[in-house]
Amino acid sequence: MTAQAQLRKGATYQLQRGYRLMMVPALLAVAIFAIVPLAGMFALSFSDYHLIRGTNWEFGFHNFAKMLADKRLMNSIYVMAALSVLGVAAQVLIGSAVAVGLQKITGRWRVGRILFLLPYAVPHVAVALIWLSLFTPTLSPINAFFDVFGITVPAMLTSQWGAIFAIVVADTWTNFPFAMLIIMAALQGISPDLEEAAAIDGASRIRTFIHITLPLLAPALLMVTLFRFIDSLKHFPMIFVMTKGGPGRSTQATNFYAYVQTFQSSNVAYGAAIAVMLFLMAALISFYVAKLNQRVTS
Amino acid sequence: MKHLLSTALAASIALSTPFATTSVHAADEINVLMFGMPFTNGLRDLADDFEAETGIKANIDVVGQDVFESRIALSFTGGTGDIDVVHTPVIQVQRWIQAGWLQPLTDQVSEETTSDILAGPLGAYTVDGEQWALPFFAGVGLMSYRKDLLEAAGAEVPETWEDMLSVAEKITTKDQAAIAMRAAPGQGFNMFIFPMVMRAYGGTFFTDYEGGDFTPSINSPENLEALNVYVKLINDYGPAGAGNFNFAEVNAAAQNGQIAFAVEGTGIISQIVDPANSRFADVTGIALPPGGPAGRSPAIGVHGMGIPASATNSDAAAQFIEWAVSAETVSKIALAQSFPDFTTASVADNPEVVAKYASIHPDFLSTRVAALDLAIGHYRPLIPEWPTLGQAIGESVNAAINGLISPEEALEQAEADMRDILGQ
Repeated sequence: MTAQAQLRKGATYQLQRGYRLMMVPALLAVAIFAIVPLAGMFALSFSDYHLIRGTNWEFGFHNFAKMLADKRLMNSIYVMAALSVLGVAAQVLIGSAVAVGLQKITGRWRVGRILFLLPYAVPHVAVALIWLSLFTPTLSPINAFFDVFGITVPAMLTSQWGAIFAIVVADTWTNFPFAMLIIMAALQGISPDLEEAAAIDGASRIRTFIHITLPLLAPALLMVTLFRFIDSLKHFPMIFVMTKGGPGRSTQATNFYAYVQTFQSSNVAYGAAIAVMLFLMAALISFYVAKLNQRVTS
Repeated sequence: MKHLLSTALAASIALSTPFATTSVHAADEINVLMFGMPFTNGLRDLADDFEAETGIKANIDVVGQDVFESRIALSFTGGTGDIDVVHTPVIQVQRWIQAGWLQPLTDQVSEETTSDILAGPLGAYTVDGEQWALPFFAGVGLMSYRKDLLEAAGAEVPETWEDMLSVAEKITTKDQAAIAMRAAPGQGFNMFIFPMVMRAYGGTFFTDYEGGDFTPSINSPENLEALNVYVKLINDYGPAGAGNFNFAEVNAAAQNGQIAFAVEGTGIISQIVDPANSRFADVTGIALPPGGPAGRSPAIGVHGMGIPASATNSDAAAQFIEWAVSAETVSKIALAQSFPDFTTASVADNPEVVAKYASIHPDFLSTRVAALDLAIGHYRPLIPEWPTLGQAIGESVNAAINGLISPEEALEQAEADMRDILGQ
């Protein structure tokens, strides 16, 4: 090795060490804010930490065994599944439809796109308050409007499926712009030549969309569905503000139930065990969808 | 950039080091954590007065109740010592004491201060002979009623819940509901209101609370009768959607003239009868909440200030609490905010305060005092498990209101939940 090459290698090493050092704060931040709390949550989930009953610090699988027989937890999973499946489906469908529609708008009207992004910028608690008012018959302008024509709009928040529908609507309103953004970006990546070629070959617009655009959008659609689905497992502000888990317990999704166990019932260990279950569920879904995504992309 | 990175690194290490110092503020500075209410908002505005008087800087943080709960859970369980004075709802005090989260302030507050505080609310914070917090707020259950609607229906102000059923029937039409009450599930929501009906019919939570027998009695015939009345009033004589109402919706319905009666805490009733808030204020009267065969039991909710066990500056914290509940400070807040729920007795002698609330409604302060006289301290049981019990019972009661289960099933479910929570 020449002296010059050795010098260059030394410089590269110096540079790499510099880069590695620059990563330290980020790694520390991840360790402190993600890994340490996660490890703490796992440790708590195996403990008997209870704020009222006292704690003997005995570790075991008792919280996970308790879950199997906990009907309220099973109900919460059912509620969570309903909210997530309906909400994500609506968000992806509406987001895609709006993205395709906006793609066609050109010229100065393109500024109008910002309007569709606004709901995404509103804090979730504010969104929940807006929709709580809209779904409360005595406050809602929708009810007032239909009252003029003698039509009574039923109260949504006093029945299980009505309340689930209301939460899905609020969740969809604030989150469809996320799906819209991702789909729009994917649409812009599709070459117009493909559509033109299909048109020359005599394919209708619908056939072009189904056979050309949609397959090319598939990775983006999968990704947005995954992101939204994982995020939707964390249902909380809408439920907390709009229904408090009611009527009865019929909108207590799993994340809300973990809150009830931890903060209302002081059963921190059991709340942590539920959170661990949610974490593993999200990790498992991510793993399978990532594999699926790889297959679709390749 | 280099400086920024090194600062970030230092901050990260400080955060991750378990033996890093827990005291995060100087000795002449205290951190106060409260959740939003007229009194706490008023207190925040007076922080400079405290510093001018004592030389101690008070950082008063007033947050939403959900943020408050997360903050205290993290601070108390982690023993971080970053809070010196904490908002202490009476309903939580037993739980916090049991969890070792509070320190007693018996020896830190003077007789002069405590002697000017109403005995009921003060006593609610006395556990095992120690004083754990000083109260600043005592809200009681009251009833507002629309005089014009009662007159049109030819009805009198209902004295009992039974009377309320018949008056409500007379008033209710397709366009006019009779009554709204909190129905949303939660120990501070429907379980602030429903026990007023329960206790009027002789219902209780336990077989003998005062005698120490904590066998659940929520499925008693008295409680069933009360729940049937509560459900009927909300469903048959309440506005559409009343099964999910909380205090904000009750308040709005009353102010918009959509209901004739609201049974609520003083904080909401004072807004309903205030001409500055409600256009129906001039035709709205105030009365005690209805009673029943077992008498009348207005709801009571007390809030105070305590010192966390992990607080590092407890002397300054106690000084702050004494200043906050002093007649001078409370009078200023009562004048600046809508705050008639004070617990410092001599504030009621302040002519400016009396004049202010008399101008809102002439009967307001006197009805409040009458309700306070009738209210029992353990309206909601003062035991560590109450927040858990109240949540569970509230969920069952709400399920009955919304027809998910029958009132009988709701009380059986609540009874089973209570036994489970209490380990019986």
